[in-house]
Amino acid sequence: MIRENLPLPSNPLGMTGVEFIEFTAREPLALGALLRRMGFHEVARHRSREVILYRQGDMNIIVNGHADAVREMAQGAGPVIGAVAFRVRDAAYAHRRAIELGAWDMPTRASAMELHIPGIHGVGDSLIYFVDRVDEFSIYDVDFIWNDGATRTPPAAFGLHWFGLVQSVYSDRTADWIDFYRTLFGFDALDASHFVGVLPKGTLLRSPSGSFYFQLIEPPAGADFVDWEERLLRIGLGTPDVPAAVRGLEERGIVFVDREPLRPSEKGALTQMYLGTVCFELVHSEPPGGSR
Amino acid sequence: MKLEDFGMDTITLAGPIEAKLRAVRQAGFTQIMLSARDLVGHPEGEAAAIRAVLDSGLRVTGLQVLRDFEGLTGQLHEYKIDVAKSMLEMARAVRAPLLLVCSTTSAHAVADFDAHVADLRKLAMLAVPMGVRIAFEGLSWGRFIDDVPGAWAAVSAANRANLGLAIDSFHLLAKDTPLEALDEIDPDKLFFVQLSDFMWSAPSTPEERRETARHLRVFPGEGAHSAAVADLIRAIDRMGYEGDYSFEVFNDDYTQMQLGRVTDRARRSVAWITGHVSRRSLPVRRTAAA
Repeated sequence: MIRENLPLPSNPLGMTGVEFIEFTAREPLALGALLRRMGFHEVARHRSREVILYRQGDMNIIVNGHADAVREMAQGAGPVIGAVAFRVRDAAYAHRRAIELGAWDMPTRASAMELHIPGIHGVGDSLIYFVDRVDEFSIYDVDFIWNDGATRTPPAAFGLHWFGLVQSVYSDRTADWIDFYRTLFGFDALDASHFVGVLPKGTLLRSPSGSFYFQLIEPPAGADFVDWEERLLRIGLGTPDVPAAVRGLEERGIVFVDREPLRPSEKGALTQMYLGTVCFELVHSEPPGGSR
Repeated sequence: MKLEDFGMDTITLAGPIEAKLRAVRQAGFTQIMLSARDLVGHPEGEAAAIRAVLDSGLRVTGLQVLRDFEGLTGQLHEYKIDVAKSMLEMARAVRAPLLLVCSTTSAHAVADFDAHVADLRKLAMLAVPMGVRIAFEGLSWGRFIDDVPGAWAAVSAANRANLGLAIDSFHLLAKDTPLEALDEIDPDKLFFVQLSDFMWSAPSTPEERRETARHLRVFPGEGAHSAAVADLIRAIDRMGYEGDYSFEVFNDDYTQMQLGRVTDRARRSVAWITGHVSRRSLPVRRTAAA
């Protein structure tokens, strides 16, 4: 084999985690109701667009229902994961470096924010943003109006925290995407002994700080997946106690897939599909200490 | 080997894209190598050309060709990146799994192997979200890289999953590259093979090679190096190569002949090859590795 592990800096962008994940949704209120059942709280609304910020613990989810964002979605299409924002040391540097290495610059379409957040193309139609203003002055202070009376920092239910994103890839494309995440951001491909959750397949990539994962999944061999496309499929949420989280979320009306081999266990659980396209995976994981 | 393993190049045929697609299909071929000019030169615009390709029933082998890409600096580099992006977008639109890139001939390129490798990595990165593979070929009149070993050195140094090597029999013959050069190549990194011959012995200067390559190629079996072409295909087959073969036949006469006459010659060439290279090897390497 000619492949070798190139000596890459372990964390070239100073990436410490994920600032937010953005859904694009034709029916943002329906997705909002689902997010609330998953423990998220609506904390702020965009000043001028149909964009809502949901939060629990250290996780932010932006639901973008702005007309410009959903224009190309088919009528009745379910929400899609449209973007992920990485926390980095210097967003402008991260963006410049990614472009120099061959990333595609973000298209000049309406992003969820009016504040300019640099970004690049990710898989499918999704974007990857770079955010460096995390602490004293957050990106949300510019574009969003905080909800009256609600806490801006609701605690996480069941210790939920970002675990990662699951991405579908075409057959024989895993190595291409490993190159993508490794070269641009310093992700490492893990061997099978690191597999977690109830869906231990594909390839797991770990962020340089160890706090976020991408799981790459190719179509199953021999299956005829005419609709298989490359995109961000679902969010993985970490929790230190999967059974407790499953019980708690079930009490809130969330339904988990309960057939083998996906039956909820200590390792993980998978919610049923909501709104046609949205499900969440729970994964046993201790919260990363001090990711900010 | 069978007909499905071979495709024609649009550059061999005259006329609009629709006529080329029809002729190639009628000749029984199942795949076609497109030139970006076929798409953007369509009188009704590129969307019409893309639709014609997608409706043709032919599989697209790849899109050609990105030239003089590596080794540029400053504004020239930015300019070429824009050209590359445009070709990658077209490749995706027409469902071409591969973009052919040939080694630079530019007087403005710097003589810096590491810079060439970095540029190939950048191109491979640009190609990842587009779902396109990059096949890099050494032109026999290339300024720094002008043969198979040179192109392979750059590809293997770049070490990117979606970057591989293209071998064009013309350049191999024109440079008298020994077949032993193939022994160095990882078969999984050979992405594409182009076949043609020409009518005389190896041209001695880069200018002669370019002139012959661009105007005077013929199909395998029609030229002066039939035995060498057959040896090359056998050697590539023995490597375990399972990808496509495409007829890269630039010929000024063929572009002023009826399309059916030219596709007949291509069919005869397939018959000639399959007669000389009995069949594809069994995939010994893969079985052994499994």
